[in-house]
Amino acid sequence: MYLKTLHLRQFRNYRDQQVEFFAPKTILLGDNAQGKSNLLEAAELLATLRSHRATRDRELVQEGEAIGQITATLEKDTGLTDLAIALRANGRRTVALNGETLRRQLDFLGVMNAVQFSSLDLDLVRGGPGQRRSWLDALLTQLEPVYAYILQQYNHVLRQRNAFLKQQRKDGDRPVPVSFVDEAVPAVELLAESAGSEAIPPDATQLAIWDAQLAAIGSRVIRRRARVIERLAPIAQFWHQAISDNKELLEVNYAPNVGLEQDDPAVVQQAFLAKIQQRAIAEHYQGTSLVGPHRDEVEFTINQTPARQYGSQGQQRTLVLSLKLAELKLIESVVGEAPLLLLDDVLAELDLNRQNKLLETIQDRFQTLITTTHLGSFDAQWLKSSQILTVEAGKIRPS
Amino acid sequence: MEAKQQVGFCSVCFHLSAEPVCEICSAPNRDHNTICVVADSRDVIALERTREYKGKYHVLGGLISPIDGIGPDQLHITQLVRRVSQQSIKEVILAISPSVEGETTTLYVGQLLKPFTRVTRIAFGLPMGGDLEYADEVTLARALEGRRDLD
Repeated sequence: MYLKTLHLRQFRNYRDQQVEFFAPKTILLGDNAQGKSNLLEAAELLATLRSHRATRDRELVQEGEAIGQITATLEKDTGLTDLAIALRANGRRTVALNGETLRRQLDFLGVMNAVQFSSLDLDLVRGGPGQRRSWLDALLTQLEPVYAYILQQYNHVLRQRNAFLKQQRKDGDRPVPVSFVDEAVPAVELLAESAGSEAIPPDATQLAIWDAQLAAIGSRVIRRRARVIERLAPIAQFWHQAISDNKELLEVNYAPNVGLEQDDPAVVQQAFLAKIQQRAIAEHYQGTSLVGPHRDEVEFTINQTPARQYGSQGQQRTLVLSLKLAELKLIESVVGEAPLLLLDDVLAELDLNRQNKLLETIQDRFQTLITTTHLGSFDAQWLKSSQILTVEAGKIRPS
Repeated sequence: MEAKQQVGFCSVCFHLSAEPVCEICSAPNRDHNTICVVADSRDVIALERTREYKGKYHVLGGLISPIDGIGPDQLHITQLVRRVSQQSIKEVILAISPSVEGETTTLYVGQLLKPFTRVTRIAFGLPMGGDLEYADEVTLARALEGRRDLD
């Protein structure tokens, strides 16, 4: 797929800027804080409806304005598609395809695909598990747009269940005897105990319903995450091997909070509920959900050693690069068209060997938008075949 | 202002009403053995527009939502259980939207009522005039779940 035009209106620091792309590679050149990353962010939003930098739409709209707009023309094998996102400082965003406003944002996902690679991604290996989960979720959303809905539902049930647990703890209506504060005692016995003395409090009914809902939707999240890692791991392994000259073997493992013995919805749900039972007392005391995919982890090992603790800087860079290349290939094979690649300030962070590996792979197959502060680190041949745009204070001009 | 002062809730079903007992509850020609449970008075109005349903209603006044501090005690659930257990109700239809909160409320109310009577819930699926080909995955999955035998 090929992004032909991008038009930003009152988006971040752009007042009204039209950009036309005519080469497979576009280099956005400019000093810091001029708007290079903002342009890439607009492309990221078109692909995923998420931004890795903004938490609220208000931040995306130019200051003092009520509404910001991103419109784009995308060329795919099937023809031209017009995409539009309207962001509001106060209120919900709306999205449109070919001039028609969509009732559900879910239908906007999957039209454009992009792999984002920014200097922030270099922390993917060393950062917290939350970073790896959101990386995984962003990839899944592009491969299976309905996943965005599933994840949103899961987070919603999770918030409700947490609020419920917190309330229960505050009420302290059912103090657990000290002798039971031992994880070895299953919660079932506990319930039976309290049922013996009096009727089971009605809130046990509500908790059981929240448990069931969390397990039902949570197991869908788990199974989809497991599936995507299974497909991504061998591709990432191949690239890591290639970049490290066969010296390193990368393994990517999904480590779900609820063990995945068998890829069967009923089995996963059962395991989910069993683990909730096991952790019932801890959940009651902490007033929060301790079981579920919101506690999942993705493990990276290089030659059987955890990369997070022991990997060198260079190894970690190779690893992240391999993951990104694997994302490109995976999306390409699933969607049937090459996704865009957004390189935000990251090329300068890679040494020549890794740069070349990346550039070799991209060639002219993947449309690539690159931001940089100087052209020094680019291959001359490369510069010749690229469109170079200068970004200055929210204005873009050819240089 | 005047409307706000005059309109209260029906003491039986908690639908909006100017009288202590609403028109629907006091209508002699309606089916006394069926109760349709909804979240809001607006849902009663929507269902009445169909002119297909001849039973009575029960308005819960909201959905279970711990985030908003709404539990079963804040809703008219006890009154519903009392109605169902004390009268000869043949069927309770749960007509609550399939949101996270709606699902929880449906399951909760369903569990409380099952010992007393037959409990059903409305089906969810494709809108009329909708094309299967264009339906989204979520709706289709729901519709598949609620499939029934061809008669």
